[in-house]
Amino acid sequence: MSSVNGAVPTTIIIAGLALAGYALLMTARNRRMSVPLLAAVGVLEILLLVQVGIIVARLAGGERPAGLATLIGYLIAMPFIPVAAAFWGLAERSRWGPAVIAVAGLVAAVLMVRLHQIWPVIHV
Amino acid sequence: MSEPAAPPEPRASQPDSTRTGPGRLLVAIYALFALSASARAGVQIATKFGHAPVAYLLSAFAGMVYILATVTLAVGSPAARRIAVLSCSVELAGVLAVGTWSLADPATFPDATVWSSYGSGYGFVPLVLPVFGLLWLRRWTRRARTLRTTATSAEDAGEAAGGGAGHGGGGGLGHSAEDVVADGRT
Repeated sequence: MSSVNGAVPTTIIIAGLALAGYALLMTARNRRMSVPLLAAVGVLEILLLVQVGIIVARLAGGERPAGLATLIGYLIAMPFIPVAAAFWGLAERSRWGPAVIAVAGLVAAVLMVRLHQIWPVIHV
Repeated sequence: MSEPAAPPEPRASQPDSTRTGPGRLLVAIYALFALSASARAGVQIATKFGHAPVAYLLSAFAGMVYILATVTLAVGSPAARRIAVLSCSVELAGVLAVGTWSLADPATFPDATVWSSYGSGYGFVPLVLPVFGLLWLRRWTRRARTLRTTATSAEDAGEAAGGGAGHGGGGGLGHSAEDVVADGRT
């Protein structure tokens, strides 16, 4: 069970870092936002929604972390990160659009580490 | 890999507001810190204010400075730019002062703020961010100054050539010149 538990956050960390690396490469190569980059953001969004679902299921099961308010804040904010980054990045017509996506990828990875700190039952 | 390359035309590479170009990235990071710092401070003040009142109030203050910087950088008008310079300066002073204070007097900070230890808990981004913000804004102040010089000399040339032609030539610069006038004494 614990290995299943850790699979999603670990995947999000790897996916987030890979997305950030790919997006920064696009910035370095002076590329604008592209369909493959948007698709990758979509994948990250789905992974984050799965993670939110897993945590909500645990909360529904009656388990409670010490910092419940903080955890709920994270659950609300998490799914908005890729969406906001996609809109803000698409509004840009230069290489700095992908740079915004890179931030979203890094933030997703950092969020998983923070989630584990808030509630250690969320394995990474 | 068929990503469209950014258009090579020189005009497109010239950002037209503090929110475009590198500013797009800057506003995104500022928005992130505005959200995280103020939300965190809100939770801490609501749930355990007595535990570390100084730290939580400073976090709330930092959150407000980040919100102000995000909004003014995103708006990008001359007046907004001046407020942005002010908030980035307050932010830089804050991270240096609180960073030093938190190291000198750890008892006051049983819980960390965004600016504790110069923002080490946030990868020192809080220390670097205002520096980039001020550099980015300085570029805009300089451009406004250059435009003002250009506009003034164009006007002088026009007057020298005789009224009508000067007004016609000034029309194209209308928007920028308006910006510059509103920019006042920067």
